[in-house]
Amino acid sequence: MAKRLTVVLSQGQSQNPAKRGLEEDLVARLLMEPGIDATVVPHLYDLQPDGTAMLCLQGISGDMVVLSWLYERAARWILDRNDVRGQVGTSLILNEDDDEDEDNDEESAAGESAAGESAAGESDDDKQRVVDFREPPSRKIYCIDLRADNQAATYVDEIKRIAAETNTDVVQLGEWIQGTPAPEQMQRYLEGGTAAGVGANGSGGGNLTAGGNVTGAGNVTGAGNVTGAGNVTGAGNVTGAGNVTGGAGGDGPREVNRVDEEPGRRWYPVIDFSRCTNCMECIDFCLFGVYGVDQVDTILVEQPDNCRKGCPACSRVCPENAIIFPQHKTPAIAGSPEFVGSLKIDLSKLFGAPESDESAVDAAVRERDEQLVMVGRDAVGESVGIAMRQQQAEDRPKDELDGLLDELDELDL
Amino acid sequence: MSEPLAFAMGEFEARFPVDRQYATNHMWAQSRDDIVRFGFSAYAVRLLQDVYFLDWIVDAPVKLSEKQQIGAIESKKAESDLFAPLDGTLTQFNQNLLSDPSSINVDGYGDGWLFEMRGTAEGLLRPEQYIDHLDAVWEVTQRTIKGQLNE
Repeated sequence: MAKRLTVVLSQGQSQNPAKRGLEEDLVARLLMEPGIDATVVPHLYDLQPDGTAMLCLQGISGDMVVLSWLYERAARWILDRNDVRGQVGTSLILNEDDDEDEDNDEESAAGESAAGESAAGESDDDKQRVVDFREPPSRKIYCIDLRADNQAATYVDEIKRIAAETNTDVVQLGEWIQGTPAPEQMQRYLEGGTAAGVGANGSGGGNLTAGGNVTGAGNVTGAGNVTGAGNVTGAGNVTGAGNVTGGAGGDGPREVNRVDEEPGRRWYPVIDFSRCTNCMECIDFCLFGVYGVDQVDTILVEQPDNCRKGCPACSRVCPENAIIFPQHKTPAIAGSPEFVGSLKIDLSKLFGAPESDESAVDAAVRERDEQLVMVGRDAVGESVGIAMRQQQAEDRPKDELDGLLDELDELDL
Repeated sequence: MSEPLAFAMGEFEARFPVDRQYATNHMWAQSRDDIVRFGFSAYAVRLLQDVYFLDWIVDAPVKLSEKQQIGAIESKKAESDLFAPLDGTLTQFNQNLLSDPSSINVDGYGDGWLFEMRGTAEGLLRPEQYIDHLDAVWEVTQRTIKGQLNE
C-alpha cells in the first residue's frame, strides 16, 4: 500500500477572490496527487474545540501538512491547544520569519547539551521552556502559511517533497483503529462505510476503518461507488477533478473531504510553548479569567471565550512574546517575530486613526482598562498584575525609604 | 428629494445623498430617533474599491468613545483600521456583511450599512460641510496614497 499524507487546507475568512482561487486551485491539484488525502476545513482559529472539523483533525493520526492563512507558529499552537500534536515538520516554503524561528529552536535545543555556549550570546537560551517537558508524538506536522506564495504549484511541489520525505505507514493507521473513535467519527463510519469512503475520506479518521475492512480498496474504480460518498459536503465547488477515479495508479477514487462547520469569528490567545517559560505574568495580568493551570501547574488558555474581543494586552506583557493573537494586525502579535510589509495601502490615518507612540506596557494597560470599563468594571491602571514595575519607574530623587533600603543593602550580613 | 452632492476624485465623481449627515472619517450617518446608522461614504468606497473582508473587534452592544478602534477592513486596494465616529453605544453591526461584504460596494448607502449607534449626532457634518471637509483633505489623501505606492 502506498504511504499516505494528509493535507489539511484551512480556508481564510476573506472573500478575496485571489485567496479563494488559490484554495480551489490547490484542492483541485491535490486531488490528482497519489498518496495525498485532502481535507478542507474552515478557518482554523475559528473552529470550535468540540466541532466537527476539529474532531476530524484529531482523528488524523499520520503525518500532516496544514495550509492556512496564518503564521506557521499560530497554526501549530492552535492545533496543539486542541490536542493535535506532532514533531515540527520543516517546510521549505518559508517566510523570512520562519527562518529565524527555526534558528532559535535549534539554538535552544543545542543550548541544552552545551549549556551556556549560546552563539547568539542571548541569556534567554538557557531558560527552560514548557515544551522541554512535553514529548510530542512521533508523527510530523508541517504548517505552511498560504501568504508565502500565490502559486498553487509551489505548494503542491512542496507537498510532494514532504510526501516523499515522510514515512507514514498504513500499519500506524491500523493502530488507530484499535483506539477509540469519537462518536462523530463512528457515526460517519457507520453511515459511509462504502468503498467510496476509502479514498474520499481517508483523512477523516473514521473512514479509515472502512479502508481496513475493504481489502484492495485502492483498486475500486466503479463510478457508482464514488457517487455514494455522502460524506462529501459542498463537493459542487470542486471542479470535475473530484470524480477522477483510479487515475492515480491504484490509489483509488478520491474526493476532497470537506468538513462544513459554520463557526462564528472567535478571539482568544494561543500560547507558543516553545517560548513560554511558565512565568505566569499573563495569568496575573488578565482580569477576565482566560488563563488557568493544568494538573502540573503549567499555564494554559482555560477559558478562551472569556477573552475580550480585540484585546491583545496579555500578549504585550508576555516577556517571551509567547502569546499569539493570530488575527491581530500587528505581525509580532499575530505570530511573526518580524514586520511583514503589506502590499496594500493603509488608509487608517485617513479613516481616523489617532497618532500614537505608546509603549507596549502602556498599551496593554490601556487596552485592559478599556475592556474592564466595557463590562462595567473599574479601570485598574498599572496597579494590578504588572511585574517589574520598578524597572519601568521613572528616575526621581531617592526618598527616605530608598535611602534606608540602600543602607540595608550595604550591610555586610 | 434633492440631488446628491458630488465631489470629483480625479476622473471619478463621488456622490453624497443629502438625506443624511457625514462624519470626518468618511462615514455617512442617518438618524432615526436616537439611533444613528453608519455606512461608508462614496469617497471611502472609492478609496477602498472591492471590499473583501470586514472584521469587528468589539461585540455589540458596547459603549465607545469617538476614535476608539472598532474593527478593520481589507479591500482590493487597501486596508484600514476602523474607528468609532462618535461617543455612544454601538447597538448592532450589519451581520450580513461578515460573510459577504460586497453590498458595501453594490449598495453602500443602503444594504451596505455598517453599524448602528445610540448617541448624539451633534458633531456630525451636513452634506455641504462634508464636501468642504473633502476639499480640505483631498490633497492629504492623494499624498498618502501616492506616498505609500512609491515606498
